[in-house]
Amino acid sequence: MLYNIRHITTYTYNTAVPFARCVLRMFPREEPGQNVISSELRLTPEASERRDSICFFGNRVTTLTIEQPHRALSVAVTSLVDVLQRGLAGLDLSLSWEVVRRDAVEHGGLEPSSPVHYLYQSRSVPIEPGPVAYAAKSFSPGRGMLEAATELMHRIKADFVYDPKATVVSTPLAQAFENKRGVCQDFAHVMISGLRGLGLPAAYVSGYLRTIPPPGEKRLEGADATHAWVSVWCGDGLGWVGLDPTNGIMAGNDHIIVARGRDYADVSPIDGVIIGSGGQSIDVKVDVEPLG
Amino acid sequence: MPHTRLAESQRTKAARRDHLLRSYRPLAGVHDELVTPDGAIRPQWEALLDEWTNVTPDEMTRRKAVADRHLADAGVSYRIRAESSLDDMLSGERSWPMSHMPLPISEPEWRAIEAGVIQRASLLEAVLRDLYGPGRLISEGALPAAAVAGSPDFLRPMKGALGPDGQQLQIYACDLGRGPDGSWWVLGDRTQAPSGVGYALENRLAMARAFPDLYRALNVERLASFFQGFRAGLVSGARRADPRICLLTPGPLSETYFEQAYLARYLGFLLVEGGDLVMRDDRVHVRTIAGLKRADVIWRRIDGDFSDPMELNAASRLGVAGLLHAIRQDNVVVANSPGSGVVESRALMSFLPRLSRKLLGEKLLLPNVATWWCGQAEERQEVLDRINDLAIAPAFRCDLIDASEGDHLLMSEQDERTRAGIIAAIKTRGMDYVAQEVVKISTMPVLRDDGSLEPRPFALRVYATATPEGWRVMPGGFCRTSDRLDARAVTMREGARSSDVWVLSEKPVAQVTLLPPPDQIQIRRLVGNLPSRVADNLFWLGRYLERAEGVLRLTRTLLGRMIDADARLPGQQEAVKRLSGLLVAWGAAPGARTPPLRQAFAALHGLDHYGSAAACIREAKRTASVTRERLSVDAWRLIGDLTRRIERSNDDLPTEGEGYETADRALRALAAFAGLAEENMNRGDGWRFLEIGRRIERAITTCRFARQFGEAAASAESLDVMLDLIDSQITYRSRYLVGVAFHPVIDMVLFDEYNPRSVAFQIARLDAEVAALPKMRDDGLMEAPRRLSLKLAADIATSRTDQVDRSFVLTIEQRLMNLSEAVANRYFLQAGIDAPGRKA
Repeated sequence: MLYNIRHITTYTYNTAVPFARCVLRMFPREEPGQNVISSELRLTPEASERRDSICFFGNRVTTLTIEQPHRALSVAVTSLVDVLQRGLAGLDLSLSWEVVRRDAVEHGGLEPSSPVHYLYQSRSVPIEPGPVAYAAKSFSPGRGMLEAATELMHRIKADFVYDPKATVVSTPLAQAFENKRGVCQDFAHVMISGLRGLGLPAAYVSGYLRTIPPPGEKRLEGADATHAWVSVWCGDGLGWVGLDPTNGIMAGNDHIIVARGRDYADVSPIDGVIIGSGGQSIDVKVDVEPLG
Repeated sequence: MPHTRLAESQRTKAARRDHLLRSYRPLAGVHDELVTPDGAIRPQWEALLDEWTNVTPDEMTRRKAVADRHLADAGVSYRIRAESSLDDMLSGERSWPMSHMPLPISEPEWRAIEAGVIQRASLLEAVLRDLYGPGRLISEGALPAAAVAGSPDFLRPMKGALGPDGQQLQIYACDLGRGPDGSWWVLGDRTQAPSGVGYALENRLAMARAFPDLYRALNVERLASFFQGFRAGLVSGARRADPRICLLTPGPLSETYFEQAYLARYLGFLLVEGGDLVMRDDRVHVRTIAGLKRADVIWRRIDGDFSDPMELNAASRLGVAGLLHAIRQDNVVVANSPGSGVVESRALMSFLPRLSRKLLGEKLLLPNVATWWCGQAEERQEVLDRINDLAIAPAFRCDLIDASEGDHLLMSEQDERTRAGIIAAIKTRGMDYVAQEVVKISTMPVLRDDGSLEPRPFALRVYATATPEGWRVMPGGFCRTSDRLDARAVTMREGARSSDVWVLSEKPVAQVTLLPPPDQIQIRRLVGNLPSRVADNLFWLGRYLERAEGVLRLTRTLLGRMIDADARLPGQQEAVKRLSGLLVAWGAAPGARTPPLRQAFAALHGLDHYGSAAACIREAKRTASVTRERLSVDAWRLIGDLTRRIERSNDDLPTEGEGYETADRALRALAAFAGLAEENMNRGDGWRFLEIGRRIERAITTCRFARQFGEAAASAESLDVMLDLIDSQITYRSRYLVGVAFHPVIDMVLFDEYNPRSVAFQIARLDAEVAALPKMRDDGLMEAPRRLSLKLAADIATSRTDQVDRSFVLTIEQRLMNLSEAVANRYFLQAGIDAPGRKA
């Protein structure tokens, strides 16, 4: 499926900002199953300095410096991405979660996709007793890894309420879990915390969902903003499998991947420092158009 | 007869020795530094005690006091970690607890420790270069990937950043304890930003001052060459000759801020916070009052993860945005490299014996405490099988287990439930835990209050630094003794003391100081450029001190009038009303219905009134505490003195006389500070900002006095009060034989350039100092602050008293505030730094 994606973020400041430096993680990553045909940035005001690089986890990172005073900053990224059919071909579904747990910690490499990076608590995902006990219910002894993780995903979809007003970026995981409310980021973090607490590797994926559903299907939650879901390591054979607890589906043709990391902090679309004293407001628009 | 005197003195020495040793009972089953298992005194202690007992008890008391005074004078302090606000920090200061009995170590024994520490430093350097470089240790199976990935200090963006030859560790510390068999064991490694080296130095200076004879007689090895080597190592890594070296501190809330300020001063480094640094053209610069200046080397005392909000912890406000990129571009040296903390983890300790054989082809000279990482199935099983003999600790982080004693849980001491919980946790997430052998560390003598010795467990931190000639170990160290007999509790937080460590050389030691040979010293009269933050703080220090002075003068005058016999006269009552009205207007005292005595009390001591003398002095102390490396010991002591004078623990109302006395004494302490700044501070830019702050505040305060008491229609009492407030009664009486009158008084207050308290005098000084500040414009035009000060000085100098009314004075006041703002805009940091909000 070919997608045309427009992602526009606008910051408006109450007083002029003389200097800003920021990091963008907004260009979709190139990886098997996903072909990035083009990806362009339009920045207003223009940057005095731009540097593009690939971070440890393989995400595309752009560092910008703006040296002219501005009261508004607009970051507009337009990407053309071809998502190929992601399927689970030739699977070994019999691998139990206990075996996956053992194989993960004994994995012999530090490459970006190595499960060892995704085993421990991270900046935004502490390992909390609540989510761990919640997750444990799906992991009965000897159960297949993917089967158990899929059930956990469905339970989160069923037990949690999608409510953009319930949380903000900085809401602690424990609070979102307690209230059983939040957005994609919260659901992903809850699921990751639960899995890691059981000793299982889980990664955070940021990206987009197609905006317009196929005829006759319901519009998916989170389609008008950036989206996030979970990638679960299911052993050396099967590798990483994307599970979307917000929608209760496996990440497939409707999911466009921008970045992968341990949690939101590794992949947040815009991080930065500005020099200025006034307040600010922010507006985000995302539009994902399937071209067929 | 000489013979008898000798015998006599030997008898006295023996008696002193008996006193020292009379209740010394080593613990069973541990090594003791002082006595052997069969009760003999060990040779290095024999030598020390022989010298120690030459000192008479009275003399000993005096010497201990000398050492304590040295530590107290230098403001040596440390802070407990839980303290978070600045107020807590200021009140939480304590004097540094140092035991006066040093730990002597013989030269041969020290050489063995030295070799072991150097080997370990080399090993950890090699491990770091591999982890952040080719990664062979992991790909070849010598180290499990998960044992590295679990460390929050494994900073992934640093992979490949330094290049194969980049030095990872400039300074390394190793905590040692001596096991029951007498051999030294490594308890832990410090590779992130080892602390304590400044305390070790400070302890040494205190001991060397108090016991110079012992120090010389025992040939104690000097510490200076270590610091020389450290500095040379940092310089050699830089890309420019005569590099600018900065010590990057997390700020005054840091547990070891004093140490950082002290070391910066001792080593001649610039003490900077993250906000002082800025990236331009991929290079790090310090914001100074003369513009941006390149920073070549950064000795970081912030955690690696906090060093760059762009690539690491985005929430950090302690680091420098873009620092990692500058490191990759080889534009700055950061010591130790961000990410070096990864080899501190206990998980890694378990692999070091194997890694030593692989990387160095050697056995470890100093063994680790036996450690098992529970991430591996086989080791985990071994641990679970004998868990009751072991201590369990977090493999990477310290917040994992709820352990009251340090971060180890001694399994044999836990109840059944805790034990079951830990076992379950290890079975699920074994990678988060290590098990360690429970080691009992040796005891050393510390002095009791009665002057006798008692054994206490201790840990010894030893430092190594990478010099251009290779690793150099500091001959000495930071020795911490526990206050309890439990041989595992050795953290500073638990009220432990420290001791100096004396390496007893077998031959006289060479004198080394940090001074280079005379022919290499370049003459300099002023040092470097003042960081903008420091200028800002000194400016405000000046303003707060002067504001405190204004309040104290008002209060003293108010109380003086109340004591006065003529207090009932209508003119006097009017004066009292105006004085208390000004205190209220300044936020120093509660409103009109409060009795004047209560108001005066609040103006002196009321911390809840932001304008009170106590509040101003607290603010002054706060600004002083963050520029401490710029202030002399005496200046710092005077500020402490001032705080004590104005502090009041109870709410009892003093009499007018007591209050008057308090204000008077505090004013004298302020005068002493001003005198000190005048006589003892270099006339550099630091002094200049302090001076500008003082002069601006004093001019503003005096204008306010003039507005309140100096109207044309003012009563004689009001004019009299004004002469009191500006300390000019005597001058006035000697110049004018008639009574007080408006024109002569107002001339003395506003325009008299010979009167050091007049507004004109302040403005003339201000203009001179502002003119001497660095210029950044290259177009030859005048800088904004100078434009304002020059014009103001000219206007004041050419005004006459018949022009003066309230609005005239108010205009001057406003122009002074504009000048203050212009100085701030031009020389201090601009605004705050904020992150754009984020939303998924």
